[in-house]
Amino acid sequence: MEAIKQNPLVKKVGFNRIVLCIVLILMYALFCALTGGNFVGSSRILSALNYAYFLGFLSLGVTFVIATGGIDFSIGPVMFCCALIAGFSLVTYGVPLPAALLISLVIGIGFGIFNGYLVAYWSVPSFITSMASMNIAKGLASVFTRTQSVNWPQANDTANGWYRYLVRYNDIPVGLIILIVVAVICAVILNKTKMGRYILCLGSNKEAVRLSGVNVKKWEMMAYILCGLLVGISAIFYVGAYTTVQPGYGDQYNNEAIAGCVMGGTSMAGGLASISGTIIGVFIISLLQEGILALGINKNYQLIITGIIVIVAVFSDVVARRRKN
Amino acid sequence: MGEVILTMKGIDKSFPGVHALDHVDLEVRKGEVHALMGENGAGKSTLMKVLTGIYKKDSGTITYEGKEVEFHNTREAQDAGVVIVHQELNMLGHLTVAQNIFIGREFKKGIRIDDKKMNEEAKKLFDRMHIDIDPKETMSRLTVGKQQMCEIAKAISHKAKVIIFDEPSAALTEAEIEELFKIIRDLREQGLGIVYISHRMDEIKVITDRVTVMRYGTYVGTLITKDSTKDDIINMMVGRVIYEDPKTQNMTPKGSPVVLKVEHLNAGKMVQDVSFELHKGEILGFSGLMGAGRTETARALFGADPMDSGDIYVNGQKVTIKSPQDAVKYGIGYLSEDRKRYGIVVQKSVAENTTMADLDAFANGPFIDKKKEKEIAEKYVESLATKTPSVDQLVVNLSGGNQQKVVIAKWLTRNCDILIFDEPTRGIDVGAKNEIYKLMNQLAAEGKAIIMISSEMTEILRMSDRIVVMCEGKKTGELDISEATQENIMNMATREIN
Repeated sequence: MEAIKQNPLVKKVGFNRIVLCIVLILMYALFCALTGGNFVGSSRILSALNYAYFLGFLSLGVTFVIATGGIDFSIGPVMFCCALIAGFSLVTYGVPLPAALLISLVIGIGFGIFNGYLVAYWSVPSFITSMASMNIAKGLASVFTRTQSVNWPQANDTANGWYRYLVRYNDIPVGLIILIVVAVICAVILNKTKMGRYILCLGSNKEAVRLSGVNVKKWEMMAYILCGLLVGISAIFYVGAYTTVQPGYGDQYNNEAIAGCVMGGTSMAGGLASISGTIIGVFIISLLQEGILALGINKNYQLIITGIIVIVAVFSDVVARRRKN
Repeated sequence: MGEVILTMKGIDKSFPGVHALDHVDLEVRKGEVHALMGENGAGKSTLMKVLTGIYKKDSGTITYEGKEVEFHNTREAQDAGVVIVHQELNMLGHLTVAQNIFIGREFKKGIRIDDKKMNEEAKKLFDRMHIDIDPKETMSRLTVGKQQMCEIAKAISHKAKVIIFDEPSAALTEAEIEELFKIIRDLREQGLGIVYISHRMDEIKVITDRVTVMRYGTYVGTLITKDSTKDDIINMMVGRVIYEDPKTQNMTPKGSPVVLKVEHLNAGKMVQDVSFELHKGEILGFSGLMGAGRTETARALFGADPMDSGDIYVNGQKVTIKSPQDAVKYGIGYLSEDRKRYGIVVQKSVAENTTMADLDAFANGPFIDKKKEKEIAEKYVESLATKTPSVDQLVVNLSGGNQQKVVIAKWLTRNCDILIFDEPTRGIDVGAKNEIYKLMNQLAAEGKAIIMISSEMTEILRMSDRIVVMCEGKKTGELDISEATQENIMNMATREIN
């Protein structure tokens, strides 16, 4: 075991990520076996991918926040808020589609600024801030849409249906390509830029970074803003896959996005984060979701299983750390 | 002195990079006060932490009341009667005296806490110690000295047979020390074994029966106090070595310009109207007792804590410093006494810490030039002789002295001309200490201006060109090294208290 861990290739890729990949493959095999081949087909996979897109962007976003040592429980509801307000503007007010997509991004960034400002400049705990903005997002969306669900245009809508190509063009999973590209950009930001360096360092020891003369408030806020932008993107991919959004929901995606992150090796204590880990984590959760659906198990069990996964992931993180010390 | 109650034999303990205890012996008898002496970093506290189960020993035996024991935590040690009275007080300020003393083992009446009984029991303890403290008083309203008495009462209430005092007098006034000694003598009469850790030579002569001296984590020897002189003990403590080139005169070049001038600095209660000047190439020592306000002065000056009023001039120019960002901009670097919390990001690499304060210089736009970063980190690892396998090593794996060098590298990378060293050698073993001293002298010779806050008199006298002395938030004196002695510094450091 130790020998495997010390292997240079394994070290480079990361032991944890290799384990996750194996889990992912085993899970796929398990679902295929349990459903008697029913799962192999591409429709199941495509459906799991649809889930992975929007969840992936959410999870990437919250990875940056968690890297600072914070948490964001508003991402799911904010994503819905983006999708609802942008969609309502598009469908009811006739705002052009590019403008509607932009609205989604702007709302996401707006919530990012709000959360980030309160956390970084006013020292409000991120837990509290994000709980508050979760409620604000839900309320705002409900007020704006008059508590109506919003149906984004279908693919056959010649004028405004093209946004769905972002998710899938004929049989090409465009969304997957975009997700991977964005993930690569995120990885570059996290590992190769000043912003990433400061985010990770301040997540590890904020006071030491501050006393080095770094504007920690600015960089901490930047993590939330980046998260907000990714939430705005996530909203586009949500409606691109499902078209219908209902006000008052979105909470369940918080847990799944955070679970993806933590499973992938991002530490809840801050300072340590892995983008590739987050992506694999998201794939596992999406596959799990689809698999449970395919098996015809009640959806509530999925909640239970995700909950357990989060606990196991966090617990193994804690144990690994304790052993290291 | 009665029979032997506690024997520690051949105690050995290593931490990564530091051999903290190398086969150390200690014997305590009933009814004796046994001094444990040695320089900072000699391993006294580590030895006591091994005894009370905070650290696990690598080898050696502990015999207590005739049986070999190994305590796994302080609770076990307490239950057996071995209690430590810490240097830093572990009190909950908003609870009453009695509640603090009986915390974790409160008297109960049914499910309710029986405060009345606790107050009575606390009163009995204080009576036994012949001191007058109201058990119902809120802890935070007592003076530090009284709080210490409560710690001792707490120790006694554990039916202690061995009490360890870890530098108990550091924060006390003369009168309080007298009272403390009275209590210690009482405890000795009652047949307790007492271990007394202190740096203060005169106290050792007054209160202790035997002295065990440690040096660099090794056992040097045990003396009977009344048969030995102060010089005997000092010789054992310092050994052959050290204090090479003590400063006898101000080494700052004549006519050296003032690089930093602080006028009437006020920040809270701990910094009141502090003014001083710092010259290029000078090491300005800041001396004083614990809580004299030296760190607070440095932090206010550096923008780490807000200042209430005062003017700061850097190179003759008046500047406004509202945050560490501003201070760094003007070329001021602060090396905290608590490196792990305020100096370095321990979970990051040597290279990442080295460029922390000056990352812009290692970036093309938003991207970090990791090659350039590695080069500078390697340069400083070499020039400061930092012991690390590579610059990619996480700082957490380095020893205290090497961590300090990483912090120095950080500020040198930023090219700071004014460096504030706050207790630069705290928690650093003696060999590495000398290296840090050499480095500071070299930096001063290169024209850096250094403020050195230190609680160690020897360090102050060895390193400083001039000395500022503080007491209770005020500057109480300023001396050139040529006129400084331990006595006149001590006088100034206690001026406000007396």
